[in-house]
Amino acid sequence: MTASTTYRQLKANPYRPWPARITSIVDLTEKEKLIEMRLIDEAAREAFSFDAGQFVEVSLFGVGEAPISISSAPSKQGFIELCVRRAGDVTSALHQKQCGDIIGIRGPFGRGFPFPEMKGHDVLLVAGGLGIAPLKSLINHIHDDRHDFGNVTILYGAKNPSEILFRQQFDMWKHREDFELIMTVDQPDETWDDEVGLVTKLFDRIDVDPARTYGAICGPPVMYRYVIDEMRKKEMDADRIYVSFERRMKCGIGKCGHCGVGHQYACIDGPVFNYWEAMNLQEAI
Amino acid sequence: MFFRVMDKARIADLVRGLSTEYEVIGPVAKGERFTFSVIEDPADLRLDFDTTILPPKKFFFPPEERMMRFRVADNEVVDDEAFASPRVLFGLHPCDINALLLMDNVFLGEFEDPYYKAYRDATLLVGVSCSPRETCFCNAWDTDEVHWGFDIFLTDLGDRYFVSVRSVMGAELLDRHVETSPITAEDTAEFQAVVREFKRAFPAKLDTSQLPLLLDAKFDDPVWDELGERCLSCGACSMVCPTCYCFDVRDDLDPDQRSGERKRVWDSCQFSEFSAVAHGQTFRESRASRVKYRYYHKQWGYLSKFERVLCVGCGRCTHACLADISPREVVTALVEGSEAR
Ligand SMILES: Cc1cc2nc3c(=O)[nH]c(=O)nc-3n(C[C@H](O)[C@H](O)[C@H](O)COP(=O)(O)OP(=O)(O)OC[C@H]3O[C@@H](n4cnc5c(N)ncnc54)[C@H](O)[C@@H]3O)c2cc1C
Ligand code: SF4
Ligand code: SF4
Ligand code: FES
Repeated sequence: MTASTTYRQLKANPYRPWPARITSIVDLTEKEKLIEMRLIDEAAREAFSFDAGQFVEVSLFGVGEAPISISSAPSKQGFIELCVRRAGDVTSALHQKQCGDIIGIRGPFGRGFPFPEMKGHDVLLVAGGLGIAPLKSLINHIHDDRHDFGNVTILYGAKNPSEILFRQQFDMWKHREDFELIMTVDQPDETWDDEVGLVTKLFDRIDVDPARTYGAICGPPVMYRYVIDEMRKKEMDADRIYVSFERRMKCGIGKCGHCGVGHQYACIDGPVFNYWEAMNLQEAI
Repeated sequence: MFFRVMDKARIADLVRGLSTEYEVIGPVAKGERFTFSVIEDPADLRLDFDTTILPPKKFFFPPEERMMRFRVADNEVVDDEAFASPRVLFGLHPCDINALLLMDNVFLGEFEDPYYKAYRDATLLVGVSCSPRETCFCNAWDTDEVHWGFDIFLTDLGDRYFVSVRSVMGAELLDRHVETSPITAEDTAEFQAVVREFKRAFPAKLDTSQLPLLLDAKFDDPVWDELGERCLSCGACSMVCPTCYCFDVRDDLDPDQRSGERKRVWDSCQFSEFSAVAHGQTFRESRASRVKYRYYHKQWGYLSKFERVLCVGCGRCTHACLADISPREVVTALVEGSEAR
């Protein structure tokens, strides 16, 4: 950051990106990279705190901005980790960046998962594809306070084994019995000896105590209805099932109007909604 | 609030006086219609205008606006200063002042928008009374009256104006630039008579009973398909609307590719790309769903946050629409049923 930029300037304009330096890049799959960054300004860094499920606007001047969920745990102070799929202009340009490069970050924005309420309960997380990114933040956060939670189950579906994200980390946790993790793929290969089929199929394999379970779902839009049906079959309450919506976003702060979902804006009223709220949002699910 | 009366002939004094301190913008004739433009000569000011093609929002939220200048190499902001020079918007009807108050909720609420705020802070508002056209329905939303949000408001009493003064600045400017006198009981009585006449002049009042609820209850009503078939997705309704605030953001590089500007431009929910996300999915693919969304957001989405509908009944969209789609028609179809139209 130039010496002239002060924290006050950054705060004064919610459209002004905060400079952040890329500290590490990990290639996860052909399309996804895990990019970690650190805000350059110290005061900005200290002020940056977030909830799992919130997102930032990544800003690359000359290209544009894209909303990306934070995938690191809120407890990892000072660092912001994003799992980025190459999908278009901004995300492709981001994939070109190197360690040490400076990018812009605005946020954190939106309403995340209700972590304090989830404490003391079982948690059932269901992810499809890239939906694992925001859930990873929640999983990491739960992991930090593991003793405050009951059973934590993760159902994760991917297209094929090579598209599974964070596999090593999950294998490690699974090994330590912190989480029950069940994975499935649509298209198995010769290395695959686990489940095959849609993520909904995995519900046959789990027991849920509806009185003490929170659900969190994130994945492609088509997945929601089917997963929610399974959770409802397990008699989970509508207001304890949380979903995260992806909509087009230009501002992240409730002004540009692009993210409208029903009568709400996904950027400030969501992206995380409980199912009762989502049922009341037209065309949401 | 305090009140004065001002001789109509004195308007020129006021405008000339204001021009010494501010840029004065007001309604001027453009062919058969009117636009808000800089007033060079007080004689150009047409306070008898019916409405303007574009609403005054362009002075607070321009069709295209530079947000910041940037340098590509280190992804650094070079300049994001919001700048606005002092000016007076002269001759806003109650609907247009109310529209600004609705915009304020969005731009000056949480995450205050520095660009809009700079214009807003630098601009004084002088309102003027009007008489309804056949497309006006501000009375349906109680936006036919305005009680705050202006510096000065002029109500036309024929040979003189009944002047309502809302702000210190308004009082000082009036004092400095024009001769006025205290109101008498007769002035107030005449003011009331004018207001009564104004209220009577409206076409039949639009029935908005239970509108927000009906938007949900009749979400799948065939009326939307019918409107969708007529709508051209031109977005004109959004552009001319004093309360539509959606925008797109884009980065324009300078010829040297090393620096550039991030801009925002007006956008419309009536365009199909408006809700497009990666993987080619669009959340409102059909025209019917987009026409519906415009109403759904105005009469329910915005209302659910700010307890007002996002429409002031100015009728501009009715005039702009080549497919003859008007809020009056849409609301009536929902509230009274399609047959009633
Ligand atoms: C809350 C939230 C969280 C998210 N989290 C993540 C995450 O953790 N990781 C991640 O990788 N992604 C995430 N996304 C998705 C990500 O924001 C998009 O993939 C990204 O915005 C694409 O931007 P881009 O500039 O790379 O693509 P763009 O160049 O904008 O376009 C990508 C594709 O989108 C479509 N599209 C875009 N603009 C238009 C248009 N004007 N007209 C028609 N079609 C268009 C096209 O199909 C195009 O190929 C999230 C989105 C939201 C809303
Ligand atoms: S929707 Fe139409 S009538 Fe209502 S404020 Fe906008 S332009 Fe005016
Ligand atoms: S002005 Fe009329 S035709 Fe154009 S987008 Fe609006 S409703 Fe459709
Ligand atoms: S992203 Fe702009 S309003 Fe939600």
